[in-house]
Amino acid sequence: MQEWENMTKKDFNIEELKEYNGKNGKQALVAYEGVVYDVTGSFLWHQGRHQVSHYAGEDLTGELERAPHGLEFLKRFPVAGRLKQD
Amino acid sequence: MAKVTREMVEKAGINVGELVDLLVKNAAAELTTYYYYTILRANLIGLEGEGLKEIAETARIEDRNHFEALVPRIYELNGKLPENMKDFHDMSACPPASLPEDPRDVRAILTVLVEAERCAVRGYTHICNLTAGKDHRTYDLAQAILNEEIEHESWFSEFLGEGPSGHFLRRGETSPFVGKFLR
Repeated sequence: MQEWENMTKKDFNIEELKEYNGKNGKQALVAYEGVVYDVTGSFLWHQGRHQVSHYAGEDLTGELERAPHGLEFLKRFPVAGRLKQD
Repeated sequence: MAKVTREMVEKAGINVGELVDLLVKNAAAELTTYYYYTILRANLIGLEGEGLKEIAETARIEDRNHFEALVPRIYELNGKLPENMKDFHDMSACPPASLPEDPRDVRAILTVLVEAERCAVRGYTHICNLTAGKDHRTYDLAQAILNEEIEHESWFSEFLGEGPSGHFLRRGETSPFVGKFLR
């Protein structure tokens, strides 16, 4: 069972996800392999930017392999929903 | 700014603006860690804590050295540091290494220390990966810092009972790897 199935979640498409970029007080959401994580309030996602090259409001699938850490860090954040494939 | 230096790095295919941002964030992590480690070290007391004080102090001084070594490279690449210290703190590449709720909990302090070092190890590995074969000077600096951060992680990890690392505490001068950038 996916984590989001146990929680009150919503579906996002990629355009909707872009709205949650963490800037100017907005919520910061990121997607990875169809799951949307809420990174709002994380020190490491200040203003929706993480380690210079990763941005909230985006699908990070494909970027994580190049990061110096694995999915375990992303999984510490609450799941906000799932990313719909258009 | 070292104009040709920046040009060479750009020509090697590196986004210098992003690299400078990364260096500034890691410089912020080093200086803020120096500050937080000052508090952690002061609280490493009692039968359990005193034995850790010396390595916490070495890690603290070496993290300050890392900050000192990073700053010239930032300016060489036409970067600059924020004027506001709070902005600098908040852009750190690693979360604050804050004193645990129970300052007498030596294991909790050790966990804060090892997590801070692990964040640094990841950060400098990332910079090494970005600059390898392209920006020789930044690579050399990041690799030197990485060597010291790995040793810091090893010291604290051993005390947490995670197994032997094969390292021993510093003998002689601090920053055996980064020292060449400070002279």
